[in-house]
Amino acid sequence: MIEAALGKKKPLIDREIIVLAVILLFLPFVLPYKSLTPEILIYALGAVAFNILLGYTGMLSFGQGALFGAGAYMTGLVLIHLQIHPLLALLCGCLIGAATAFIIGFFSIRQVGIYFVMLTLAFNQLVYFIVYQWKGLTGGDDGLLDVPRPDFSIFPGIEIPIQTNLQFFLFVMVIFILAVIVIRRILNSSFGRVLVAIKENPERAAAIGYNIQHYKLASFVVSGFFTGLAGGLYALFMRMVPITAVELFTSTDFIIMSLLGGLGSLYGPIAGAVIIKIASEIVSEIWARWLLVMGVTFIVCILFMPGGVWGLVTAVIEKRKAASMQALRSQ
Amino acid sequence: MILKTKDLTKHFGGLTAVSKVDLQVEEGQIHAIIGPNGAGKTTFFNMLTGELPVSAGSVFFKEKNITGLKPHQIARTGIGRSFQQNKLFLNLTVLENVRLAEHAHHKGHFNFFRHFLFFNPPLEKAMQILEELEMEEIAALKAGELSHGQQRTLEVAMALAAEPELLLLDEPTSGMSPDEAVKMIRLLKKLGDQLTMIVIEHNMSLVMSISSDITVLYQGSVIASGKPSDIADNPEVRKAYLGGQA
Repeated sequence: MIEAALGKKKPLIDREIIVLAVILLFLPFVLPYKSLTPEILIYALGAVAFNILLGYTGMLSFGQGALFGAGAYMTGLVLIHLQIHPLLALLCGCLIGAATAFIIGFFSIRQVGIYFVMLTLAFNQLVYFIVYQWKGLTGGDDGLLDVPRPDFSIFPGIEIPIQTNLQFFLFVMVIFILAVIVIRRILNSSFGRVLVAIKENPERAAAIGYNIQHYKLASFVVSGFFTGLAGGLYALFMRMVPITAVELFTSTDFIIMSLLGGLGSLYGPIAGAVIIKIASEIVSEIWARWLLVMGVTFIVCILFMPGGVWGLVTAVIEKRKAASMQALRSQ
Repeated sequence: MILKTKDLTKHFGGLTAVSKVDLQVEEGQIHAIIGPNGAGKTTFFNMLTGELPVSAGSVFFKEKNITGLKPHQIARTGIGRSFQQNKLFLNLTVLENVRLAEHAHHKGHFNFFRHFLFFNPPLEKAMQILEELEMEEIAALKAGELSHGQQRTLEVAMALAAEPELLLLDEPTSGMSPDEAVKMIRLLKKLGDQLTMIVIEHNMSLVMSISSDITVLYQGSVIASGKPSDIADNPEVRKAYLGGQA
């Protein structure tokens, strides 16, 4: 009965994770541009982190660009000025992402609905203008240039090179998979289940004894931590931080990827990021006004595929399962 | 005295929905609150549980002033409630609804890294509640797939998960078929042996058969309070209900 009602206990690594890793491993070999693959994973991580807020807690945040940018600039700055270990620099990016999320979340979760959305949007603009004005530190309009991407060692003697596209892709992939494993566990933890309850019915969640403000804030901080990680990887990937990283458009990118891929699951936003990044690369070569095509596709998807691409895939699989069960029974 | 309110009042703009209500509930009572539509019964409940801020007056639970506490804080002091309209986690299974209600009162609900199924006590307790209410067979259904009567029962199950000393039930039989209502009455009688209850109800046969005390609200004020037999004979109550033709 428990299994039927609540599912199985999932170990940290299972078939799902291995299948995901194998599929991702093939990406650089099937895609026309090798440099695209790390970027896909970086955006996928940002979309997955965003989905913790929208898909699991029910909060539509337009402030993800600020978190992504904060992670990117922090990682870039510590690499330039302190020349520290890249993994440590990424950790700095995670922490500043979490801290920024704490501040944005602290004020925004006091409101719900449209006011919440507008607050997160305003915070994103605020961070953008801070970055834009503070030229001495951030490079302002020109972006933060010359971020080093040094090779590093984890154990003495084992050097990890991350210079070529393929090497860097593998580096990003390992971090991505680790992040997905941790996020999946967080979503399946007792904490994560309360987030789902809050999304379903916040009033009831409070009536049965949960302090929903604490949960919402924690959800923000977790999302900020991983969005900051994505930002840090972006700084390493670009070897600079363009000011577009902290723009509102970055926020909307994550939102569109999640919606297109499907909010209901952990893997939907990954699918969304892969599809959008590849499509935009291909379509933009054919037609300069490719955003128009994207816009129309997006509208069609929202209207006719509310579960997103991932929802469609799982629906097809379930239908097949049901059909084969039927066939078995009629035999 | 498990619950006491003093001059409890709620204004909505110029409208006084609840006016200076003094209510005293003894431990072990099943106290019914009745009154015509718009009498302020649910508003009164919402002030007890912190869903609505109090305009004036105070609420004491076990001699402690709980006026102005947040809903989750009041839930943790030992007051459980069900809602008039079903407020369930409709996309989650029945067992998950009750487990969530249960886990709020156990350790570890803020744990980020432990899979939720590894917390056994809340899970076992949730199963036990479902067994008591004869809901094991529908445990794996989503709350949204249940019949109305089953959803009302799930409401009660979730309120019970808190192991409340005081249970507030807002129209537990509303919209139920007669068969379902009979089952619910039986359940409430059974629960009445274990805990104190305040029940808002329109179904007079239910009120008369289970309650030990009745308070009648009319236009936000208490017009009568006493044993069921006294209330049935009270001319003012008849007037309020029958529109002055008593």
